[in-house]
Amino acid sequence: MSIIIKNLEKSYDVVVLKGINLEVPQGQILGIIGKSGAGKSTLLRCLNGLEEPSAGNIMINDQPFTGIPDKDRRRIQQKIGNVFQSFNLLSRLTALENVMFPLKLLKQDPQASRKKALKMLHLVGLKGKENDYPSQLSGGQSQRVAIARALISDVSFLLCDEFTSALDIETSLEILELLRDLNKRLGITIILITHDMAIVREICDEVCVLDKGQIVEKNDITSILLYPQNAVTKSLIRNLINKDLPHHLQEKLMKKPTPNSAALFRLFFSSQTAGDPIISSIVKKYDVPINILFGNLDHIRETAFGCLIIAIPYEVSKIDAIVNDLAIRDVSSEILGYLPQKGCFT
Amino acid sequence: MKQLVLLSLIETFEMVGVSMVLGTAIGIILATLLVLTRPSGLSPKPFIYQTLGIILNAFRSIPFIILIILMIPFTRFWAGTSIGTAAATLPLTFAASLLITRIIEDALNTTPKGLIEVGKALGASNLQIIMKIQFREALPLIVSGLTTISINIIGFSAMAGTVGGGGLGDLAIRYGYQRYDFTLLIIIVIILIAMVQCVQTLGNFLSARLKK
Repeated sequence: MSIIIKNLEKSYDVVVLKGINLEVPQGQILGIIGKSGAGKSTLLRCLNGLEEPSAGNIMINDQPFTGIPDKDRRRIQQKIGNVFQSFNLLSRLTALENVMFPLKLLKQDPQASRKKALKMLHLVGLKGKENDYPSQLSGGQSQRVAIARALISDVSFLLCDEFTSALDIETSLEILELLRDLNKRLGITIILITHDMAIVREICDEVCVLDKGQIVEKNDITSILLYPQNAVTKSLIRNLINKDLPHHLQEKLMKKPTPNSAALFRLFFSSQTAGDPIISSIVKKYDVPINILFGNLDHIRETAFGCLIIAIPYEVSKIDAIVNDLAIRDVSSEILGYLPQKGCFT
Repeated sequence: MKQLVLLSLIETFEMVGVSMVLGTAIGIILATLLVLTRPSGLSPKPFIYQTLGIILNAFRSIPFIILIILMIPFTRFWAGTSIGTAAATLPLTFAASLLITRIIEDALNTTPKGLIEVGKALGASNLQIIMKIQFREALPLIVSGLTTISINIIGFSAMAGTVGGGGLGDLAIRYGYQRYDFTLLIIIVIILIAMVQCVQTLGNFLSARLKK
């Protein structure tokens, strides 16, 4: 029960996707993130069968999904749920009828479909809204109906296309929570595409960064957020986790140490290291004054992590020793630059 | 005289009713074909789409009164005669199906692309997408379009009167105009106004009910 993409390529007049290799195991929540035009929508449309790839193949639950007759493809499509940015509900059907719609297409028994749809609507938290028409529902409610519709035919995959773009932040968070809950309860694999790292951070286990039609980085969420490798990834998370020096200090930052300057360290603590009294032990061990210039504590999913920017008066021998020491203690550190001591020890 | 008016009224109903029902049936088929085969359709077939489009446009550009005359040979073959209510129904049906094809085609094409993709992504067949998504969503538009066309066809049916088609229009021309019976003419005009009002009100009501 997984999705395997091999050497996928899609081009119209221009190449949109190239050399995409991706494996999504059952139960994972994968975020595909990229700027607009990166090809993420096209990738998703290849996965839900709305586009046929130009080359490469996709295996869904060990069955080929590409290069097969329409009829066979439709059968697999029926096991993939889709949630769209604009909800795409049928305006002349009630919430309940919308949820029943996929089963109706499959010509299933109306009585049983109805029961199942009712259960599904309750699961997404829409009790009492069964007979409302989409025009009577709010954006969040509409998206819940769309999610119920996507899940009704016992799908193993849920593909979400920028599904929170039309919702306000609070509603988005509620919907994300719902998805996470459904993922835990029903074990469905969720692939979502977005340009918003905040969404990814809320929900994804694994992140895949797409740029110019290629996967430029793929890692678990914590690593992506804390140690992004690619420039695109870095720019996408720039505003997400505040770990940067205040602006007025950044302007004074020097690249090389000068006499009477202080070295600025940025330290990252994860849940495991956050308990150690690192700062005080360095102060004692090396007999250096330490000034904290910036601090932030944050959470990614269930992992707490902290970021601290400290200034230590520059002394070649001590600085090197401290760097080694921090590495041994498993605290990730980097030297941001140097400030005149006047600027940080006043 | 009363009986004459009543009889003509029934004839008008017959002509308009039959041509609307048949026209809608033909319109549904042709519009579906057009929507299916158009370049951005579910099953693009440029040749069918273009050919059908050209033929329909050609016929649409013929004024109705001339259409009646052009169709006389077919009418004779179909109804056995070229005068009378049955004979007038053929060109009326023809005109109605042209108009109806157009409005259904337009109405179906208003379906948001996203809804069609929902159908595709759910693994629906093309027929299911057209019937269960496009027709369903477009129904209020189709109903209001059919209302307008019914009113057009009531007008056309009067023109059919000029070739002895029967109905209120025929009566108005023969008795009201040719025999200078202005009272009758006025009565018929009032009946026609009332009829059109009723059709429009009913159409509006249905269309509004169908919109959710």
